Amino acid sequence: MSPVAGQFLLDGSALGFEPGDTVAVAVVRAAQHPGHGGTLCLAGDCGNCVAEVEGIAYVRTCLTPAADGMAVTRHPTDGPPRWHAEPRETEVPVAHDETDVAVIGGGDAGRAAATAEEQAGRRVLVLDGPAGDEVVAVYAGPTVIVRRHGAMVHIRATEVVVATGTAETQPVGPGSRLIGLLTSRAAQQLHAAGVDLGRAVAVGPVPAGVPCTALRGSLLRLEGDSRVSAVVTRDAEGENRVECDTVILDLGRSPRDMLSRMAGDLPVRVVGSAAETHPLPPPPTAGVVCPCVGTTVDDLEGVWSRGFRELELIKRASLAGTGTCQGSVCMPHVLSWIAARTGEAPPPFTARPASRQITLGEAAADVHLDAFRRTPLHDEHLALGARMDRFGGWWRPWHYGDHLAEYRAVREAVSLGDVSTLGKFIVAGQDTVEFLQRLYPTDVSTIRPGRSRYALLLNERGHVIDDGMICRETEDRFVLTFTTGGAGNAEMWMRDWLETWGLQVHLMDRTMSLAAINVTGPRAAELLARVGLTDPLRFLQHAHVEVAGIPAHVMRLSFTGEASFEIHHPVDRSVDLWRGLMAMGGDMGIRPHGLQALFALRLEKGHVIIGMDTELDSTPRRLGMDWAVNMDKRDFLGRDALARTAALPDHRRLVGLTMDGPAPTEGSPIWSDGDVIGHVTSTFASPTLGHAVMLGWQKRTPFPEQVEVDGRTATVGAPPFYDPEGARARA
Amino acid sequence: MRAPEPLPATRVVAAPAVLDGIATDGGITLRLAVDEALVLGGGAVVDDEAALVEDEAGFVGWWLTPDELTEVAHHLEWTIPAERPALAQGLVAGVPARLWLTEERSLLLVSGAYAHELVERLP
Repeated sequence: MSPVAGQFLLDGSALGFEPGDTVAVAVVRAAQHPGHGGTLCLAGDCGNCVAEVEGIAYVRTCLTPAADGMAVTRHPTDGPPRWHAEPRETEVPVAHDETDVAVIGGGDAGRAAATAEEQAGRRVLVLDGPAGDEVVAVYAGPTVIVRRHGAMVHIRATEVVVATGTAETQPVGPGSRLIGLLTSRAAQQLHAAGVDLGRAVAVGPVPAGVPCTALRGSLLRLEGDSRVSAVVTRDAEGENRVECDTVILDLGRSPRDMLSRMAGDLPVRVVGSAAETHPLPPPPTAGVVCPCVGTTVDDLEGVWSRGFRELELIKRASLAGTGTCQGSVCMPHVLSWIAARTGEAPPPFTARPASRQITLGEAAADVHLDAFRRTPLHDEHLALGARMDRFGGWWRPWHYGDHLAEYRAVREAVSLGDVSTLGKFIVAGQDTVEFLQRLYPTDVSTIRPGRSRYALLLNERGHVIDDGMICRETEDRFVLTFTTGGAGNAEMWMRDWLETWGLQVHLMDRTMSLAAINVTGPRAAELLARVGLTDPLRFLQHAHVEVAGIPAHVMRLSFTGEASFEIHHPVDRSVDLWRGLMAMGGDMGIRPHGLQALFALRLEKGHVIIGMDTELDSTPRRLGMDWAVNMDKRDFLGRDALARTAALPDHRRLVGLTMDGPAPTEGSPIWSDGDVIGHVTSTFASPTLGHAVMLGWQKRTPFPEQVEVDGRTATVGAPPFYDPEGARARA
Repeated sequence: MRAPEPLPATRVVAAPAVLDGIATDGGITLRLAVDEALVLGGGAVVDDEAALVEDEAGFVGWWLTPDELTEVAHHLEWTIPAERPALAQGLVAGVPARLWLTEERSLLLVSGAYAHELVERLP
């Protein structure tokens, strides 16, 4: 009797295993099946032995060494594996390596390739599955991704050699999902492990050393209830039925070339039997073709009859090849089935990483989220208790604990806002005015040096893609600002058009070189006077001055509805400026404001946020911003489209809405006469106005003047809701 | 990764021929684009009144040891150029960055706004 190495739990019951057993071998040793039936290859090629191991589903038990106390749970027969809601520790360590040649496969062909490369003086890494290196992907580089003893290894190689050999063909037909079916290699493995196969019969060549009875002819069907009890073959003399406990099947081979098929144009070479052409099995006529997802021959017939004739389309329509083994089992049969109809087998379908089921932790190993920028004031915000959030590619303060207090500081005293994230560009050169005239719908030539103007940025279709300020510094030098989230696109937009038009203009991106602080509120000018700006700028004026001893470009404008001064300055001086302003404004009730307050303040003024209130095809007319377009100009991007559509009816408009009571949720539907006619884009319960204010889309004409939002009546009214004359901004 | 050091510089946007002729007193001129150069340290003399020349405080960086450069190379999806000197631009651990490589030393250069991401992502 063999020594028992330990016990693991199979579906909650203890199961002994012997030294060297994988989970699958131990389960078969106990006369059970690690899944719910189907041929076992015990080589990782199929999905018939996958189970949940230690809480991780879809684990190939044939590749998993049995361990004492391990919990193994077979997947349910009628649905996906159970979902574990509790969080798991999923951080997976990553190691890196590099080599000249990565050889995947440690068999004869792999060793021969490795030897040849080493003799040529190249560094070689052999990645052998049985030795613990499970290659799951080949990416650009080429980079080979390996799962190795609970960690991931990313290997950069100059060349990859795939020497993964062949997979054994599995049967398709009646009874192919029974328990007791083995490939030839699996039978050899089990026999070597001392597993009793009972009355074993072999279809095809008899595996060397395995006691079994050789059957004549080709496989016709397998019989049994859940376990195979007999096999029927057919030869020239007719059918032959033999009772048995185990059927050993040697039905052919197919190349294990999935890794090379996911490599595309990368320097990947296939050698050995994986590179050879192998005969396809006979076309299946009945039964399950793809055991991973249950695709049958009838399913293939169905998608074929619906017109799906390409392999890739058949795969998508029938799902054959999309399961656990990614086509290793079913593709030879599907290719054969297609060849029987077209006379030619198509090339195999493209493979994509990963070739094996990997956990989210393994997939995420060494993978980073998008990088989000921080302004130089990030730590200042944190020190002030800010709740930071990602917005437009930056970390920004959403609030500092009390957004209404921040709102009141702006309306009643003075407040600071970190607007370092705005796009900031210098444009200069002899053709700058011509460039900006073509770029913007406003007449840039009428902006005098030292003055600025709000402007929309339109595409050729007249759709608003961004907005910002145009500040003229000299006759041919301007500073442009764009939205936080739109700055990158605005730069590409400008560079594309500069190249297209061939104008003599220099463009410099200063977005991450300059920080910006918005000083806003009725006491903003008073605060700035304390730090040296004694000659306050007029509305829409801008100037290069020193503020608190720091060189700055100050722009007088207003997004909040109050007097506002945007101070652009070098990033390495930003903390000094911020602290100086906060200190000097201490007796004025100064406090910083975050985006939550800013969005409310601007909403009271009816200022849109591009991308939040606008849609991809929002024109100035739809936004009620025709005033920002000068159609008297000779030419600008979008002009032709605006001229062409000006006389056409438009069934969409962005409107202001007011309503008693609390603010509804942004995105709430707008109702009229029982139909949804649009949605709300921005909302705020204004403490200053005593009611809710909103922006929202109406998308049905005639535009009603009263609508329903959140079960209440809302009245359409043109913004701004607050200080409509703009007296406070200009004060 | 340790904290980066500031890299005070001069940023120049000008015609390619003008950038080719930038004179610098001990600085390192990095050609970021056809029409843009970054001069690290030292002053930059640009012989063109139409050029945009601005002080630049937005970049920080790390002078890398050979071992550190090897580690950085593990976090690239592109290959470090073999020739020297070389300026390579691309993602490092998913962060937009640049590598200035000479026979003697290597500089990992990044906008200060992204520096924290590299500090967290590189060992």
